[in-house]
Amino acid sequence: MFAYVVRRIIATIPVMAVVALFVFSLLFIAPGDPAAVIAGDQATPEQIERIRQSLGLDRPFLVQFSEWVWRLLHFDLGRSIFTNLPVTTMIAQRIEPTLSLTLITLVLSVIVAVPIGVLAAWKAGSFVDRAIMGFAVFGFSVPVFVIGYLLAYFFALELEWLPVQGYTPFAHGFVPWLENLILPSIALGCVYIALIARITRATMLEVLQQDYIRTARAKGLAQTPILFIHALKNASVPIVTVIGIGIALLIGGAVVTESVFAIPGLGRLTVDAILRRDYPVIQGIVLLFSFVYVLVNLGVDLIYTLIDPRIRY
Amino acid sequence: MPAVATPALPDLWPPVKIRRGFLGFLRRHPTVAIGSALLIVMIAIALFAPYLGTVDPTTLNTARRTRAPSADFWFGTDMLGRDIYSRVMYGARVSLTVGFSVAICASLIGLAIGLISGMLRFADGFIMRIMDGLMSIPPILLAIALMALTRGSIGNVILAITIAEIPRVSRLVRGVVLSLREQPYVDAAIAAGTRTPLIILRHILPNTLAPMTVQATYICASAMIIEAILSFIGAGVPPITPSWGNIMAEGRSLWQVKPFIVFFPAVFLSLTVLAVNLVGDGLRDALDPRMAKAL
Amino acid sequence: MDRRTFLKASAGAGAFAAAGGLSAPAIAQGAAKTLRFVPQANLANFDPIWGTQYVVRNAAVLVWDTLYGFDENLKPQRQMVESEETSSDGLTWTFKLRPGLKFHDGEPVLAKDVVASLTRWSSRDTMGLMLKALQQELVAVDDRTVKWVLKKPYPKMLLALAKNSTPMAFIMPERIAKTDPFKQIEEYIGSGPMKFAKGEWVPGAKAVFEKFADYKPRDEKASWLAGGKNMLIDRIEWVVMPDPATAAAALQNGEVDWWENPITDLVPLLKKNRNVAVDIADPLGNIGAFRMNHLHPPFNDVKVRRAVLMALDQEEYMRALVGDDNSLWKPLPGYFTPGTPLYSEAGGEILKGKRDLAAAKKLLAESSYKGEPVTCIVAQDQPITKAQGDVTAELLKRLGMNVDFVATDWGTTGQRRALKSPPGQGGWGMFHTWHAGADCLNPAVYIAIRATGEKAWFGWPDVPAVETEVNNWFEAKNLDEEKAIIARLNKAALDSVVYAPTGFFLTYQAWRKNISGIGKGPIPFAWGVSKTA
Repeated sequence: MFAYVVRRIIATIPVMAVVALFVFSLLFIAPGDPAAVIAGDQATPEQIERIRQSLGLDRPFLVQFSEWVWRLLHFDLGRSIFTNLPVTTMIAQRIEPTLSLTLITLVLSVIVAVPIGVLAAWKAGSFVDRAIMGFAVFGFSVPVFVIGYLLAYFFALELEWLPVQGYTPFAHGFVPWLENLILPSIALGCVYIALIARITRATMLEVLQQDYIRTARAKGLAQTPILFIHALKNASVPIVTVIGIGIALLIGGAVVTESVFAIPGLGRLTVDAILRRDYPVIQGIVLLFSFVYVLVNLGVDLIYTLIDPRIRY
Repeated sequence: MPAVATPALPDLWPPVKIRRGFLGFLRRHPTVAIGSALLIVMIAIALFAPYLGTVDPTTLNTARRTRAPSADFWFGTDMLGRDIYSRVMYGARVSLTVGFSVAICASLIGLAIGLISGMLRFADGFIMRIMDGLMSIPPILLAIALMALTRGSIGNVILAITIAEIPRVSRLVRGVVLSLREQPYVDAAIAAGTRTPLIILRHILPNTLAPMTVQATYICASAMIIEAILSFIGAGVPPITPSWGNIMAEGRSLWQVKPFIVFFPAVFLSLTVLAVNLVGDGLRDALDPRMAKAL
Repeated sequence: MDRRTFLKASAGAGAFAAAGGLSAPAIAQGAAKTLRFVPQANLANFDPIWGTQYVVRNAAVLVWDTLYGFDENLKPQRQMVESEETSSDGLTWTFKLRPGLKFHDGEPVLAKDVVASLTRWSSRDTMGLMLKALQQELVAVDDRTVKWVLKKPYPKMLLALAKNSTPMAFIMPERIAKTDPFKQIEEYIGSGPMKFAKGEWVPGAKAVFEKFADYKPRDEKASWLAGGKNMLIDRIEWVVMPDPATAAAALQNGEVDWWENPITDLVPLLKKNRNVAVDIADPLGNIGAFRMNHLHPPFNDVKVRRAVLMALDQEEYMRALVGDDNSLWKPLPGYFTPGTPLYSEAGGEILKGKRDLAAAKKLLAESSYKGEPVTCIVAQDQPITKAQGDVTAELLKRLGMNVDFVATDWGTTGQRRALKSPPGQGGWGMFHTWHAGADCLNPAVYIAIRATGEKAWFGWPDVPAVETEVNNWFEAKNLDEEKAIIARLNKAALDSVVYAPTGFFLTYQAWRKNISGIGKGPIPFAWGVSKTA
């Protein structure tokens, strides 16, 4: 087991290397010049050139790349071109909101989606099933920011139940923290809920055809234990897979949600950095996201072993 | 042995009259019927936009900006006085073009990569590492980053989203190829000396078509939403050419006071994506119910 | 460990974390003494000499002080200086600092700090560079006296030190001011009325300023950058909100107190709200602009430029920017800020009156334009340039010119406009921008009006007549002389179309009614602003 984990971790290194090279080259060949943006509107071309030299942006590719990799291995992600703060500091400042948003969305989505997926499977073919699946397809189809604006309008502006924007750190209290995150989580979670509900239903349908379910029913077990203990447990593997894959979707969707609800998280930082060509920040964040995704995959594989003892490594 | 007449077994359940054919399929899956109908309407809008009572979608007239829907301007006017109805009708062209192009391109390129990866063992590891690397970057971020490299245009948007979607297709195709390679008939074909291209053409390709087609519809839907998000961020098609995404992006600051600017394209986009998703579901059910779990 | 133990341990850890969160006390907010402000843009870096964006300057005036400052009549007034003396030949300036000035780290402000700061500033600022070229010596005579000796007289010295256009002549501690002017400073210590809470700075999201208890405001009434900067607020939080809809909602809900620049379309909504007040932000306003590339065809031909100006409808541009509110814009048949002493309409007939499209087309036909596409750069992420760009595309279409519309972002615009190559090879034909009215007051601060050819601002206009008048202006002895000079300059600039002004427009600011003391000006001044609960 331990050996497996170690092997898996080592296998992620080539993937990370590919991402690193890709990210670095991508931005290297990009047009758009951070030096010009920093210099501001009133700068002359000579001044822009001097700023570019002082940032080291005029040296050859390989030189910059090797330097970058070397620093990376020392956990130094460099300094932001615009703010001059270490990238690790900037990420650390912004990671809590994104993490909180992702976590709440995840919890909310699973709590909502799995039961309704199970319900839809149980009542397959009925109106309830069609309604739930119809709702799910809807969740896929409406863009996140439209849902976000609608929610903000009704619940924050009209009813004034919740704040319209912003983020309260966890340290300032659990309830304020949660209040700021409810609307964004619902907006972000719609797609996720739709996805999980569909897979849950599909897998459950298959599982419910199995012999052991028929046996359980014949034994006289009530519906709920059958559904949740026997059926769901066996259906979990694909569901957990989708939850894992969905985390990449969540990160992408967080970009939009953070913009609509003014949450100072990593998503917004990334978009700002990309539009400003703040290379070190972009590289640091993309590497971080990839690393997180890889970790999540590892975690999903580990969870498999917990829920399905048949899976052995 | 003498023939023994086997008695007819009684029916355990009454025979169900299964309507065959396309129409029968539609009757059993009304959602697919609705989805296909909607999609056809949207395609018609895109094709016949100039004849639907529209004016030039780029003509601006700042004296009549942000007017509410009225008899003259069915969906109102935007911040530069352009007619929103016309922009939404013409916008169908961009959104559908982006959706279909990405679906087709990503499928073709992903197919090629997946085939190569599945058939050529030595290339498999290398190619899949690259695909894994690309997949570990969230697709929206990848698309935004790619758009930041170039100027906004339909072509670049299609390219950016295609690149973000290729890895998943290639994984899917590779999976099919790998499982097919173990099949006895493929083994037999190889043993008989059939050359690889023929094997691919005759045995492998037909089996990839079904899952790929279903995947393609989901890619189409996803591409349309990503285009809207790219426009929202400001990295999409420039508003000279209206797309549902950029009409919404331009009107987003005004949603509290002039909600109609965002409302109409949002409705059209949602309906189209919904339609494509429903068609995808129907295709999946029709082609192979067992695929439901894989996708 | 086996499965069950693993699961139990995780559940236990989760419960522990949740319990810890629930018992954390809510941090008391001194709400009445915290001002939450939504700035015009993100504060990405904080070196006001190195980075010349307006938002950096607006934050910098809280943290650093200047020797002189403009008052609301645009006259330089003493700030950190107690008295000044000019020698009779105009070559030596002696400044004496006020007593008791301190930096945020407790150190007193000394003349050597001033010397180092002025040296750094004069390496980046246009007027500063002129002074540096004329400089004989700049020394600290004693702890409170600074002497600046020049080779030629420079009558606009006080204007240079007082101006609010970037970069301002901020005074920093010597050790910080010794940083290379082309590198960012890393410490943000000044002698201004507020301290910068570096530990709480989240670029892109938040910046925090705290009242500096040892600040000694002047006795005079505050007037823009002059007079006593009395802080009635203990803490200012800058909350960055890129989405105007979110900012509007937050202001309505009371989640923020003051919004620097609400977009015009949302203003009626804010005006309707009982708790929100809305007013003009800066009477000096802004001038919309697009610049044509004088180096390459088609805009190297003055006839083409004049044809564009003939067809240009300033009302169309301004309405695209400010909507239906007529009080927010004025036509601008000139280059200098309306309402200021040097405003002139000389030579502006081409921009006045009904647009004569036929005449414009005729002029275009007589020019050297052969139908080649015009590479038009439009930044989509700035509302001002975006709106202007769309109108320009329509304008060129009407004129019968071929448009190659390049939609990009502000950062790429910045890079691309610096390229002198021809439009077909990576260069450009025209780009859009705007200037704060405060930067268009006179030739000293007005980089965009200079026409020195290859050394000028992007677009590289080469108009000797303009430059002659600029030099004349620097030598001018009184206001009447200046006005005459500027009139000639204006005409020369319009005749050759140094750039195309699209109009003069004002922007609003909005704040909650429990905030008082908000004034109008080119910078959101926080002194004198107070908040009731």
